[in-house]
Amino acid sequence: MLLTPDFDTRPVISFQHVHKTYPTGTEALRDINLEVPEGDFLFLVGPSGAGKSTLVRLLIREEKPTKGKIFVDGVELGRMKRRKLPYYRRKVGLVFQDFKLLPNLTVYENVAFALRVLGEPDSRIQSRVAEALDTVGLSAKDHTYPSNLSGGEQQRVAIARALVHAPRFIIADEPTGNLDPATAWEIMQLFLRINARGATVVMATHNREIVDLLRRRVVAIDAGQVARDDRSGRYHDDFAKSQVRA
Amino acid sequence: MILRNLKFALNSAWQSFWRNLAVSLAAVVSITLILVLAGVNLLVGHALSQVLDGFRAKVSEISINVSDDTPLQNVYDFQQQLVADPRVSNVKFITKDEALARFKSDPQNSVLAQQIEGNPLDAKLEVRVANLGDVAAIDTLGRRWSGVDPTDPTNYQGDFVNRMLQLSSWLSLAGVGLLLILLVVSVVIVMNTIRTAVYHRRKEIEVMKLVGATEWFVRGPFVIEGIMTGLIAASIALGLLVVAYPPAVDRFKSDIGFIPLNYDPAFISSLASDLLLAGALLGALGSYIGVRRYVRI
Repeated sequence: MLLTPDFDTRPVISFQHVHKTYPTGTEALRDINLEVPEGDFLFLVGPSGAGKSTLVRLLIREEKPTKGKIFVDGVELGRMKRRKLPYYRRKVGLVFQDFKLLPNLTVYENVAFALRVLGEPDSRIQSRVAEALDTVGLSAKDHTYPSNLSGGEQQRVAIARALVHAPRFIIADEPTGNLDPATAWEIMQLFLRINARGATVVMATHNREIVDLLRRRVVAIDAGQVARDDRSGRYHDDFAKSQVRA
Repeated sequence: MILRNLKFALNSAWQSFWRNLAVSLAAVVSITLILVLAGVNLLVGHALSQVLDGFRAKVSEISINVSDDTPLQNVYDFQQQLVADPRVSNVKFITKDEALARFKSDPQNSVLAQQIEGNPLDAKLEVRVANLGDVAAIDTLGRRWSGVDPTDPTNYQGDFVNRMLQLSSWLSLAGVGLLLILLVVSVVIVMNTIRTAVYHRRKEIEVMKLVGATEWFVRGPFVIEGIMTGLIAASIALGLLVVAYPPAVDRFKSDIGFIPLNYDPAFISSLASDLLLAGALLGALGSYIGVRRYVRI
């Protein structure tokens, strides 16, 4: 029973009968089937504890599925060797609710960090960081430390860091969770621009307004299962159970 | 790219060392003390082995006393037999006259020598045995020889030799044991220092892993920090030992004169390379173990 709509494009992310049970016995995900084509913009919605974060953790291979398979770009994550993992992560740009910036580095250094780790030469780092900061509109604050930035600005830095190595996928876990509505909207605009350039975006969110306004693909997770998968959906399923093909 | 990564690791290690200065210094002091102990252990071991070498050279040579009525041909035959024996490295025949001359030339015997009438000393065969373990067998051979002086056959003191050999093997075993304990303790110290450093930098490590740093890229700075700690400690320990070694030898000599302990400057250079190498290896091993569990992606 596949809940995914039909797509013309080959999926770059594919969950096949994925289960995740934590060692404590908590069953976080049950029989997840999900396909994401290249260039898609997907919202993962659902109440707290529904399994969104587990799904994100599986996607960045912080966790392995207990059962089932996850393919990203043709590679099965559960079978990927540990030493290959860094190279997989380089294809992915990650954005979190708590930004995960390093407080002792400046804005510039925080963004450059993602390239230093890859061993890029300084000249390349300079030009690409400048470009990424320009994209998020923070060129003027490159020497500022994160503690002197607003929440929205910190999230912009995090997005610049996620962008700077030109990843094919952006995975964002509640990126607007700590931001006021106006700032959240600005941040969303950034994600839309990144998506328009071709990157696939998967975003777990609680932000109802934004989801309802953008009318992108919505996958609702409830009690560890895919409850709904709409091509241009809303945060809540207003038409109730008639559309839930479960 | 490797050079750039190395530069990053060196910078990062240096910063981390200074950022956690209190912990780093505590580790340097502890490892310095341990390496000083290890160095003293090596120096004492070296001195003992010098003494033992001298002792070995002495006891691996035995004299077989020749009875006065043994025909010279008989002595030559036995000498040839000994020379042909693979266990023997050298045989020298000392005639009665030579023995007496030697006895008289020793200033310790000057009073006694004046009172000697005639020549009471035996001629002897001085046999140098290649392997200390074979001395007893050569001694038995000498005692069974028909030409030996039955009242005083050889100067071999088996019991004493065996006891000394046993003592020296116990001492070297104890030295190795002590060294091992010291090494384990210093690895544990470095391990805990690096764990503290890892703890302070856990956020940075998390971010590194999320943006796709390889395990060695994350580990490298910590391993280098460990090596740095080890090398700094080894240099200080070496400095202390170099300064303290000569006066300690002098003191020892004046207190316990009968053990021929000597200052050996050549040993300092081998001690230097040993300590620095040990410091670097201990640092690397300790930090590798310390960081391994926490840096797994």
